[in-house]
Amino acid sequence: MKRKIAVATAVALASALVLAGCSTGGSTGGSTGASTDGKGKTITLWLVGSDTPDKLRSYLISEFHKETKGTLKIEQQDWSDIVTKLTTTLPDKNNTPDVTEMGNTQSPTFTNVGAFLDISDMYSELGGSKLLQSFVDAGKVNGKNYTLPYYFGSRYVFYRKDVWAKAGITSVPTTLDEFNKDVATIAAANPDKISNFSGLYLGGQDWRDGISWIFANGGNIASEKNGKWTATLDDPKTMVGLKQLQAIYQNASKAPNDAKDSNQYIYVNDDDAIPGATASDPSTPVSLSAATIMAPGWAHWSIGTKGTGADGKVTRTWDDNIFGVFPLPGNDGKPAPVFAGGSNIGISAKSKNPGLAKTLLKIIFSKTYQTMLGQNGLGPANSDDTSSLGTDEFATALIQSAENSKLTPAAPGWASVEASNVLEEFFSKIGTSTDLAALAKEYDAKITPMLNSK
Amino acid sequence: MTAATTRLTVPRRRRRSFAPYALLIPSVVVMVLAMGYPLVWQLITSLQQFGLAQQFGQPAPFVGLDNYIRLATDPYLWTVVGRSLLFCFVTAAVTMLIGTLLALLMRAVPAAVRIILQITLLLAWAMPVVAAMTVWTWLFDWRRGVVNWLLTAMGLPFQQHNWLQNPLSFFAVASIIVIWMSVPFVAFSIFAGLTQVPEDVLEAAEMDGATASQRFWRITVPIIRPVISIVLLLQVIWDLRVFTQIKLLQDSGSIASETNLLGTYIYQLGAGSSDFGTASAVSIFVLILTIALSGFYIRSMLKEDAA
Amino acid sequence: MKRVRPARVILSIVGIVVALVWFFPVYWMLNSSFLSNVVLTSSTPTFFPLGGNFDNFATVFQGGTFLPALGMSVVIALVVVAVCLLFAFLAAVAISRFRFRGRTSFVLTILFVQMLPAEGLFIAQYKLMSSVNLLNTVLGISILYIAAVVPFTIWMLRGFVAGIPADLEEAAMVDGLSRTQAFLRITFPLLAPGLVASGVYAFLQSWNEFTVALVVLQDQSSETLPLWLRGFIQASASKAIDWGQVMAASTLVAIPVIIFFLLVQGRMTSGLVGGAVKG
Repeated sequence: MKRKIAVATAVALASALVLAGCSTGGSTGGSTGASTDGKGKTITLWLVGSDTPDKLRSYLISEFHKETKGTLKIEQQDWSDIVTKLTTTLPDKNNTPDVTEMGNTQSPTFTNVGAFLDISDMYSELGGSKLLQSFVDAGKVNGKNYTLPYYFGSRYVFYRKDVWAKAGITSVPTTLDEFNKDVATIAAANPDKISNFSGLYLGGQDWRDGISWIFANGGNIASEKNGKWTATLDDPKTMVGLKQLQAIYQNASKAPNDAKDSNQYIYVNDDDAIPGATASDPSTPVSLSAATIMAPGWAHWSIGTKGTGADGKVTRTWDDNIFGVFPLPGNDGKPAPVFAGGSNIGISAKSKNPGLAKTLLKIIFSKTYQTMLGQNGLGPANSDDTSSLGTDEFATALIQSAENSKLTPAAPGWASVEASNVLEEFFSKIGTSTDLAALAKEYDAKITPMLNSK
Repeated sequence: MTAATTRLTVPRRRRRSFAPYALLIPSVVVMVLAMGYPLVWQLITSLQQFGLAQQFGQPAPFVGLDNYIRLATDPYLWTVVGRSLLFCFVTAAVTMLIGTLLALLMRAVPAAVRIILQITLLLAWAMPVVAAMTVWTWLFDWRRGVVNWLLTAMGLPFQQHNWLQNPLSFFAVASIIVIWMSVPFVAFSIFAGLTQVPEDVLEAAEMDGATASQRFWRITVPIIRPVISIVLLLQVIWDLRVFTQIKLLQDSGSIASETNLLGTYIYQLGAGSSDFGTASAVSIFVLILTIALSGFYIRSMLKEDAA
Repeated sequence: MKRVRPARVILSIVGIVVALVWFFPVYWMLNSSFLSNVVLTSSTPTFFPLGGNFDNFATVFQGGTFLPALGMSVVIALVVVAVCLLFAFLAAVAISRFRFRGRTSFVLTILFVQMLPAEGLFIAQYKLMSSVNLLNTVLGISILYIAAVVPFTIWMLRGFVAGIPADLEEAAMVDGLSRTQAFLRITFPLLAPGLVASGVYAFLQSWNEFTVALVVLQDQSSETLPLWLRGFIQASASKAIDWGQVMAASTLVAIPVIIFFLLVQGRMTSGLVGGAVKG
């Protein structure tokens, strides 16, 4: 009798061990736990917006099937709803996406609450220190990696070569001070006598572009010490940037103080010029209202001479005689640090298929896929592959401006700051403020409590 | 004929009428199922410190009335409340006025004109809010808007006028849009109510010498009073909670904190900052506020029922 | 017997003017849906779609996602309208024709329930639907919509029932009809306009609702038209908004509602009242 029990127990124990072993993630995959046992299984990847072209999506689907015999389902989400969707779905193990893209500024908020799987063990395999470090930091908590960079974008300056030349400036500024002076000069000169013409069109609430002046002078919106974040708008270095911004709002930009970071490109296009109108007749609206704008790199698709394509759709043809680009210069010989656009990617902590999800990540960080990203104008996460972006002026400007780019503070409460539009409000008041230091302190007091998670 | 419902005083037989309860069961069941849980959740959450961390599994500390106290002492909340009340009253009043006039108009015009009017109102009502907002923000766009173009063509100085920058003009635009969207419902409802007013009674009164105004106030209004009251109450409730239109306008321009109404403020706290504890507290607060506002209606309705 | 009175002519003119004013934004949407994005983004507005075409509509259809979303929206809307009207009608009869314990509380409850702002509820609604596995289903979202619309509908119908005096029924009963028959033959037809108004409202609410659908209908395969429309309007990082297509898409979303209304609008203006009183 005892023997039977002993045998039974032994069998039970053995099965339990085997079962436990099985549940930790399938067959092969080496030390990182990535699994290739996907037969009959489906995992879901959420991509945000339509930035990732169809060609790349098809590649991911076919490559994933090749490697795991499983199915990859890609669902597209919208930027404006992604936070809501992630908030409701990530904690739900029955409905969570296995892998998801998110904005780089959204990553700290979610990683800090444990929404993502710890993938520190995959870090070096996926690219390690070659990955864009500021994005890696946005996905790191307590030294552990939870999300990694997916792709980066950047912002640079688009200008009207013809207008600049007419205003007497024939060479591109090489320092930030020179740039500030140039745009003020052009606004004053207004060679085409257009009403409300801006030397640089900088929207009052456009902090994503305006922040470059803060960064360029060594300042920041907030900094961390001993795990606690404080807003640093009144820091002396930030103040230098704020003063420069004020000068621009007052002298170079005629943008409304509630204009945000969107569609700046329409202001350097000519498309609404009414034929026959004289340049000196102010009552005839002419679309060209700025000599310079600062915008994310992809804006170049919407800038150029207007034309109509064979299918009746509008086309924009870039004309190197009229338009040009350059990265915003800093005062130290390097490009000014600008706000880096782009996304991170991570595995949901509640995913039921972490092994397969890790395999997907390996495919995404493979040289093939990284190169494909670059070829399609999306800055790859791995710096080894940035050459795939190409060598045209846009790629050059993108790479140069991104070199030095910075992210918003990786504070846990950053999502609150963005949701409350407090930065937009602050920037909108810079132009007319009579006491910048007091304004900065006032907003420091508003922002600091929001930064640290509750 | 009075508007008060005369109770069926047919003597009840022995059965302690189960009929009304039976009739209510379907509605009660569906409401309890689908609204019960969210309502209770919201009440409980408003008493907790509930942020994104709690959504992802952290326990939610019970803080009692802390959220409410913080709100009550926050001047910004009261600013938003004040703005919302003002917006609500102005918009609801104008909507009711125009809606009632249009309903009367629909009764007074020949069938062809009435159908045209009804169809255009319906089209306005049926237009998806997102699409309608796109068109409206476009119409008022400071650079390419038709409104500026028309006003400039008439000689007024509205070249590139930015309608959304100034909070007051922002709310004027918002009000116009909400009124445009709400009038059809009011007009249709009151029109439907007007069809219950018997034509012959009106004609008889007219032949007896009653003026249009007398006929309206003495005959029509008492009959349609229940409909008017409900519609007015609903307008007040909905205009107090207006969200989509304000949010989409804010996305186009304006300084958000200067143009927040209660709906967008709750959204900003919840979906934006993930501060669900405070968002829930504000929601409960708005609920109580709305109940208080409709107090007059509730009391008169209860009195009427008791009669 | 109707003389053409000058007052009627003036009122007719007023009616037409009002209709035009109200129609203008809708007209703008239709106008824009026939024009290309090039024309639409110029600073001079184009008032008439001369030289316009159906290209925008074609592109919208070619996406292939319109019809499934349309199907989803239609099914949900019809379910919601039918169930909501039925439930609300029964409840309205109960509270306006009967006296019973708990009546006042019920009436107050359904009034208060409508006053709760919906913006903060999405988390709870998601959890609710997820826990009973009704995410991404017609049933799940219909239940949420019905619960949201029923209170208001009960109120509306109660108002209509309250406006119909009980004497009419009693008169019919004196004539020999049972209470139920009296109700169905006399009162019910008088309710028709109210039912239509409530029905149109319920239809529109579920047709245009966005926030709850966003959270509860997660898969692209189960999206409703508002979610689908949103996809068009989202400007992504690599292309600007095509306004012509957005307007064409919006037009497509609005059309079924018009059809629904045209089908039911006759009831709104029927002259059944006259018959009941004279008889």
